Amino acid sequence: MTKNIWIVLLIATTTCFSQHYKTYNWTEKPQLHKLSSEDTKASSIGILKKHIVEYQSSLLSDPKLYETEHTITRVNDDKGIGQNNTVYIPMNGVKAVVDIKARTINSKGQVTLLNQDNIKEIKNVEEYGDFKIFAIEGVEKNSEIEVLYTVEKEFDIFGSETLQKDHNIKNVQFLFITGLLNSSIKAYRTDVPFKNVTVDSVAAKLLELKDVPAMVEEEYATPNANKIEVAYQCYPNGQNYDQDMFWGNVAYNVGSKFFPKDITEHANDDLSLITNGKTEMSNFEKASRVVNFIKTNFTIVKNNNDELTNLDYILKNRSASDYGIMKAYGHYLKALDVPYEIVITANRFQFKFDPDFFIPNMLRDFVIYLPSEKKYIAPDRVDSRVGEAPYDLLGNYGLFIKDNYDYYFKKIVEEDPNYSRIKRNIDITFLDDFDKVSVEEHQEYTGHWAETNRAVLTLSSEQGLKEFKDYLTGSGIEDKEIVEYAVENTDMNQLAYNKPFIVKSKMTTESLLENAGDSYIFEVGKVIGIQSELYQETKRINPIEMQYPNQYDYTITVEIPEGYGVEGLNTLAIDKSYKSETREKICKFESSYQLNGNKLVITVQEYYRSNEYDLERYEEFRNVINAASDFNKASILLKAKE
Amino acid sequence: MKIKLELMMKALIVLFCLPVFVFSQDFANEDFIYLKRHENIKIELTDHKFDIAKQVSEQAEYLTSKKLYFANEVMPFDSFTSIENIDAYTYLPMSNKKVNVDYIETKREFDNGVFYSDQEAKYFTFPAVTEGAITNLNYTEVIKDPRFLGMFRFGSYVPTKSVQLSIEFPKNVTIGYIDFNTENIGLDFKKEELENSNKYTWTVDNLKGFQGEEDSESSLYYVPHIIVYIKSYEEDGKTHNVLNGTKDLYQWYASLVDQIDTKDLDQVYAIADNITKSLKSKREKAEAIFNWVQENINYVAFEDGLGGFIPRSAASVCSKRYGDCKDMANVLYEMLNHVGITSYRTWIGTRDRHYSYLEVPTPMVDNHMINTAIIENDTVFLDATDSFVPYGMPSAFTQTKEALLGIDGSTYKIIKVPAQKPEQSVSTITSQMTLDNETLKVTEQRNLTGYDKVDFITDYLYKKEDKTDEEFLNTTLALGNNKTNYTNFSKENFDNQNTPLILNYDLNIENYTKTIGDKSYINMNIDRTLSKSNIDIKDRKYSKKIDHKFKKEFTTTFTIPEGFKITYVPEALSFDHSNYGYSITYITQGDQIVQHKSIYINTLSIQNDEFESWNEFIKSINKAYRKSIIIEHLP
Repeated sequence: MTKNIWIVLLIATTTCFSQHYKTYNWTEKPQLHKLSSEDTKASSIGILKKHIVEYQSSLLSDPKLYETEHTITRVNDDKGIGQNNTVYIPMNGVKAVVDIKARTINSKGQVTLLNQDNIKEIKNVEEYGDFKIFAIEGVEKNSEIEVLYTVEKEFDIFGSETLQKDHNIKNVQFLFITGLLNSSIKAYRTDVPFKNVTVDSVAAKLLELKDVPAMVEEEYATPNANKIEVAYQCYPNGQNYDQDMFWGNVAYNVGSKFFPKDITEHANDDLSLITNGKTEMSNFEKASRVVNFIKTNFTIVKNNNDELTNLDYILKNRSASDYGIMKAYGHYLKALDVPYEIVITANRFQFKFDPDFFIPNMLRDFVIYLPSEKKYIAPDRVDSRVGEAPYDLLGNYGLFIKDNYDYYFKKIVEEDPNYSRIKRNIDITFLDDFDKVSVEEHQEYTGHWAETNRAVLTLSSEQGLKEFKDYLTGSGIEDKEIVEYAVENTDMNQLAYNKPFIVKSKMTTESLLENAGDSYIFEVGKVIGIQSELYQETKRINPIEMQYPNQYDYTITVEIPEGYGVEGLNTLAIDKSYKSETREKICKFESSYQLNGNKLVITVQEYYRSNEYDLERYEEFRNVINAASDFNKASILLKAKE
Repeated sequence: MKIKLELMMKALIVLFCLPVFVFSQDFANEDFIYLKRHENIKIELTDHKFDIAKQVSEQAEYLTSKKLYFANEVMPFDSFTSIENIDAYTYLPMSNKKVNVDYIETKREFDNGVFYSDQEAKYFTFPAVTEGAITNLNYTEVIKDPRFLGMFRFGSYVPTKSVQLSIEFPKNVTIGYIDFNTENIGLDFKKEELENSNKYTWTVDNLKGFQGEEDSESSLYYVPHIIVYIKSYEEDGKTHNVLNGTKDLYQWYASLVDQIDTKDLDQVYAIADNITKSLKSKREKAEAIFNWVQENINYVAFEDGLGGFIPRSAASVCSKRYGDCKDMANVLYEMLNHVGITSYRTWIGTRDRHYSYLEVPTPMVDNHMINTAIIENDTVFLDATDSFVPYGMPSAFTQTKEALLGIDGSTYKIIKVPAQKPEQSVSTITSQMTLDNETLKVTEQRNLTGYDKVDFITDYLYKKEDKTDEEFLNTTLALGNNKTNYTNFSKENFDNQNTPLILNYDLNIENYTKTIGDKSYINMNIDRTLSKSNIDIKDRKYSKKIDHKFKKEFTTTFTIPEGFKITYVPEALSFDHSNYGYSITYITQGDQIVQHKSIYINTLSIQNDEFESWNEFIKSINKAYRKSIIIEHLP
């Protein structure tokens, strides 16, 4: 969300110091750096990443702010070149470009300097603003690319910089020059302390990190949010703030916008459309009706139109920014007497919200909390309705603002432990003397599963619907013929709490059966669909975070034809779990079977009670995840009785 | 859990990014339809100068409030066009209200394929859309170059009640047109003579929507559309050709080529001389130069007005070490001709554009540039934008396409790029299998040539991302099951050369074989190429695209463990069709079972009338894949 919730109430006075960015430079005669053979195996490796943030107090105005970025990167192959030979410098908040330069040192030591004429400017790119872009010249395999630029930015009290990339970096430096100005700085996900240094006789702080490893994509992880980062604040001359002042300021500014004193006429006029004349309703139903109304009548617009936060404009045009739409919710909820709180937080896959340090960049996602229901509304998400918090916020802290503008911090968790479940009853029979298998299924999806299913069904393209039907009837069975298929409770606009999304289907397939002499091998595990496998050849880096807590309960009944017996049932019994310190199973996969006459009944229960697991116990977690994949490979033998 | 959420999220994301297309004759089941999509092109000519304006008029209806995202409108333009006089509003029949669009933004988008482009777009969102809303959009697109009248798609991703294209032009102007995929849509064409102009009008009513399918060809293969172009005009008693035939298109291209900056070519020649100095034959020299450009010029694309059509100076491309297709084609041209090899700058459309230069003499026909060298009577297509295609093979996506070779300022030649034979892209797989308790242990070598090699290398470099080798191989080769453990992975000839890429690895496959009592069931088909290629004939609308022809030869040897005897060996099975087929045989040799399996694909597309035969093939090969050998403990 782009918004202006931090109002600057501050003015400045000041003195002048020398300017480091003017004297900082690259080596005049560059030489290739010596690298180990291991380093030359990677597609690319960072030799230096240095970022300098320099605040200068100035007389009678806000401090000046300069930022310098200096990188040296060795590229060893085509992929490394492709990832590093184009440079995009964001111009958002930039007052002036002081200098941009780049050069390549090839493996023979020849230097190619960037021709300044080849720097292009592109305006208003998506939501990111303007950029200066250029392609690195003269780069070939085993070259070093060096980029150095300085920009003067609009004064901003706050800033942050990510210090970890997707390749290893040998030397990372963050230099924070604030002179006599008061400031705060905090580093995340590193234990290395800042050093107090003096730069051109000005006091500064330096964080220097050696051999920063690449951040890697892993499953059940939030790698982008786990990068080493620094966040900082620098205050105008003579001023000093504590974090509570910032939070309080935000709570007041946001609260005064989203908790209306009076309801506008236009909002009142809409009420009859929302309630349909109904008066006796629970808070849950009222809130659901508001959400359904907004999501079928309003469009969230991403552009720079200031009117998109103006309530009259929003109600008339039924268009709002993701921030502005909160005003419509505020008015409707207030008009219907539904108590609510505003929550500001961040997508946990992008940022880890820190209640102890104010970083405006983190204040990205706005949700509404209904304290009487312990439920959330995600105002700008087309696919969600009143329920648990969106999965990408779970586990992050949020700033909760009450209608009196008081605020508190709370970790966003699911209140209903049984929210997201999948229940399946699967009945299997063999047709035409073992020519085919018939699989009849009744499935119920609740919680996030149901919400996503409804959204896919409603919003997908035709190809998307085909793939979805395949997924709902057991993915990975290549020759299946779907004989019956019906879905129920598919409307995204629901008024009852957690009504299940139901799928009833029947399919036949030959591919699960294999003729082996006088017997048949039946791949029964495949009926639960493809199960992903969690691989780990290298050491796990990221803490474990799942999408959301969930549970699966399957009952699979196989009817064994007369004259046949079953063998090889042992692979159907699996028991893997991860226990808490109190020996309680927090996640597990358990399957067992019973033979009742000619019926083989297989019961499966798999659940994940939490969405966070201990990195140190990754192998235990992985065993549970992979147990489902093991079950998927289970097969039994049907043998003619002698 | 697993996999699924990601898959579903992907399905959701896809639909927001792709202009995809939907079918239905009965519009009542639709969420959103166009009531009309009309375009009127008006051409005026004064003193050899064209004034061309396209009036666009669209009206759409929201039959439900499910897909409000259609409210987002994008009108792209570049330096050859401008968008003017935009009038847009939403009409709400229920309340008889009109809400105007009052905010339009000009933006750019990051395009991963193109580094810098002059393409921008006007963006806006229709206000107040909900069930029953009708949106209206009218604007003028000014076309600044008479060669770029563009194309008109009769079909859209959703149904349209009234589709119309008209073109109004002075009587001294001649217009050409060619339409595609319009056989069954009831296209009506009318010619009118007005007072000072002629007018052509094409109309279709109640046209269904068109939506892409998995593995289908590009939408141009099935969406009804038309290309109109100015052929010529009469002025001062003479005929002046604009795009009257391929000759005119070529002459324009040649005039652009004339503008190439040729300074400092000595630096380019010096590189060419240096690369080829120790080489004797033209073939060796051409290969060395091609490989040098593949390896040393990095692909960075620019689309900037006419600059998007004129290759940049070969000297600057060599010194900057980057360029796009036309830049690489031109560097090859300069280097090859310098060392005495006849070569031509060559324009070509990729397989996405199925047009012929002879039928479509407009810049719509192509989107790519390569080099064509003539070496000892062989015609060799050189596309250095593909960093790994071996010398001698065209890039896979240019197969079957017409190449326009620029011979000189006024002469050109059109040659078809041949489809490469299955024998040029062969995977030879040799595996030794043993059984250790219930774990199947395999030592395998895979030799890949041609496009099989190119695809593996490209995927390994660009699709592997942060995955480990094990995870990457599990998802790409997908041998055994997804628990297969890969060790001792090595690769040789991981390059752009004509030598086969050699992959070696060992596999441990658990949960794969089945042992019950004395018997063990072992399926030797750990590689199940094509097993998921069945076509859903009931719902499938369009032909299936195949990227390249190939052949796979497997020799798999299973050594019977000591203390066991073989009790069952599957029968030989095969399927033989001129375009595709397989055969699997088993031989018992002492304590070994040897399986020979060969699979070939000898076509680049499966047409709708071949679906049944194709499915028989897939059914047959899947049946063969499901056959296990059985071994039994000796008493």
